[in-house]
Amino acid sequence: MSTIKTENITKQFEGVHALDGVSLEIPRGRVTGIVGPNGSGKTTLVNVLSGIVRQDAGVLHIGGKEVSILKPQQVNAHGITRTFQEVRLFEQMTVLDNILVVVTERAVAASLFRRRQERCDREARQALETVGLWEKRSSPAAALSYGQRKLLEIARVLAMREAEVYLFDEPFAGLFPAMVDVVVKVMQGLKQEGKSVVLIEHSMDLIRQLCDTVIVMDEGKLLAQGTPETVFAKPEVIAIYVGK
Amino acid sequence: MSDVVMQLVVNSITAGALYAIIAIGFTLSYGVGKFFNLAHGVMTAIGAYAVFYLTKGLQIEAWLAVFIAIIFTGAVGWLLERYIYAPLRARKASTMVLLVASLGAFTALQGVLSILFSSQVQTLTQGSAVQQVVAFAGATITEIQIITIITAIATLLGFVVLLRYTLFGKSVRAVSDDEEVSKIVGINTTRVIGVVFFLAAATAGLAGILVGFDTAIEPTMGMALLLKGVIAAIVGGIGNIYGAVLGALLLGFVENFGIWKIAGEWKDAIAFALLIAFLLFRPHGILNKKS
Ligand SMILES: Nc1ncnc2c1ncn2[C@@H]1O[C@H](COP(=O)(O)OP(=O)(O)OP(=O)(O)O)[C@@H](O)[C@H]1O
Ligand SMILES: [Mg+2]
Repeated sequence: MSTIKTENITKQFEGVHALDGVSLEIPRGRVTGIVGPNGSGKTTLVNVLSGIVRQDAGVLHIGGKEVSILKPQQVNAHGITRTFQEVRLFEQMTVLDNILVVVTERAVAASLFRRRQERCDREARQALETVGLWEKRSSPAAALSYGQRKLLEIARVLAMREAEVYLFDEPFAGLFPAMVDVVVKVMQGLKQEGKSVVLIEHSMDLIRQLCDTVIVMDEGKLLAQGTPETVFAKPEVIAIYVGK
Repeated sequence: MSDVVMQLVVNSITAGALYAIIAIGFTLSYGVGKFFNLAHGVMTAIGAYAVFYLTKGLQIEAWLAVFIAIIFTGAVGWLLERYIYAPLRARKASTMVLLVASLGAFTALQGVLSILFSSQVQTLTQGSAVQQVVAFAGATITEIQIITIITAIATLLGFVVLLRYTLFGKSVRAVSDDEEVSKIVGINTTRVIGVVFFLAAATAGLAGILVGFDTAIEPTMGMALLLKGVIAAIVGGIGNIYGAVLGALLLGFVENFGIWKIAGEWKDAIAFALLIAFLLFRPHGILNKKS
């Protein structure tokens, strides 16, 4: 059973085929890895799945519904959330406010009068404690280190409890080993909760450790999809990783 | 301090207070909308004429008229955002297109005011009523000027509390920071921006009403007030409400002390000299770190 299906997704940037007829399915309740060389279209795929980039052609099916144009403001309602390869935080706000702004009901009238409800505080605290940033809650996001910024962005998606599909674009890149362990636990936790996780990652070890299925991309095309063992045994996959 | 200096200080602060009320709304709507909403200026005239119509036309009591006028002006600001700017943004219009659209809205609404009320100068005060004047440390200040200063302080505090301590305020800051990510995390950015435009227009309307009670109103009053608000916002650091207030005060002082020994007609030229000096030497303004 799939949670997201793409049909012939194509996207060009000034003549570059970032995505070239990509049809794939992302299984529900599993961790799906996306691997591929630099510039193979991994981020662009996630951008299309989260309404950041509009595809030139092709359609999406999300939770069984056909979605031809996915707008950013609809992404949350479809139960999709994501992190960014280049971390995008609310820089001027504190660490805690970065989380509170997403956990709380966003109704303006309610939010004007009903200040931090206990439940929101608790959920925000939980998300920050999971990634070890609770102590930093009062610092502005802009003052965090590179690794802490990545962790805060991960805490932000964790705080979006209602999400079903979590897209992570290279969440491990540039993290210290201790932080890597934290993020590994986050992924495992999400899987245990039955969420669908998509993970772009270059490290084969992490992919083997975490992923149920792997999608291999090359030059905007889907090269292979399957379990890590079968996929990494394929000659065409080995070929693009020779010398890496 | 000599009485002259004292009077100049008082004049500077009252001018600064008025500019601050306009600049705060302008800078906030820039923060969420990321374009110069020039129609902000005409809101001052709309607020003032709404009070004019309600008090002189419908004989409604002044305080109630002011209240209705503020809400009405806010609604006009919200309508512009909802039916002109938001659809343009949805079509990926550039900030230049939005700026031109807002200039169009400014001109059109100013035209409507001229048609409805004629271009004649009017007053909001009742006939021959003389303004209450208070003597203060060698200077004089009118009652309405005191109210203007209090209003500016209240406006600043109100927005600070709103932005810092309410969830709506957090949403506003999130949208100012990254609108796309705000959408993705489920913030209703259209509504947040709409409310900000309402509040910005409402406070601009209030500024226009204060001017109306202090001096006089005419349909074209918005442009001069807009320019002062824009200069204050840029000088202070666009998007920053504390910056808007600092910029407004600086502008008030520079303008009033600038004409100490020369003719008052130089005021606007001095205001622009201040703007140009900042654009040349500190383009990101007093408080912003980078442009
Ligand atoms: N917004 C954009 N504008 C122009 N070109 C783009 C844009 N986004 C992606 N591209 C191009 O599309 C291609 C695919 O890029 P993409 O970022 O999807 O690759 P990737 O697989 O994520 O690579 P990496 O491993 O380096 O992150 C690249 O050639 C890239 O330069
Ligand atoms: Mg990438």
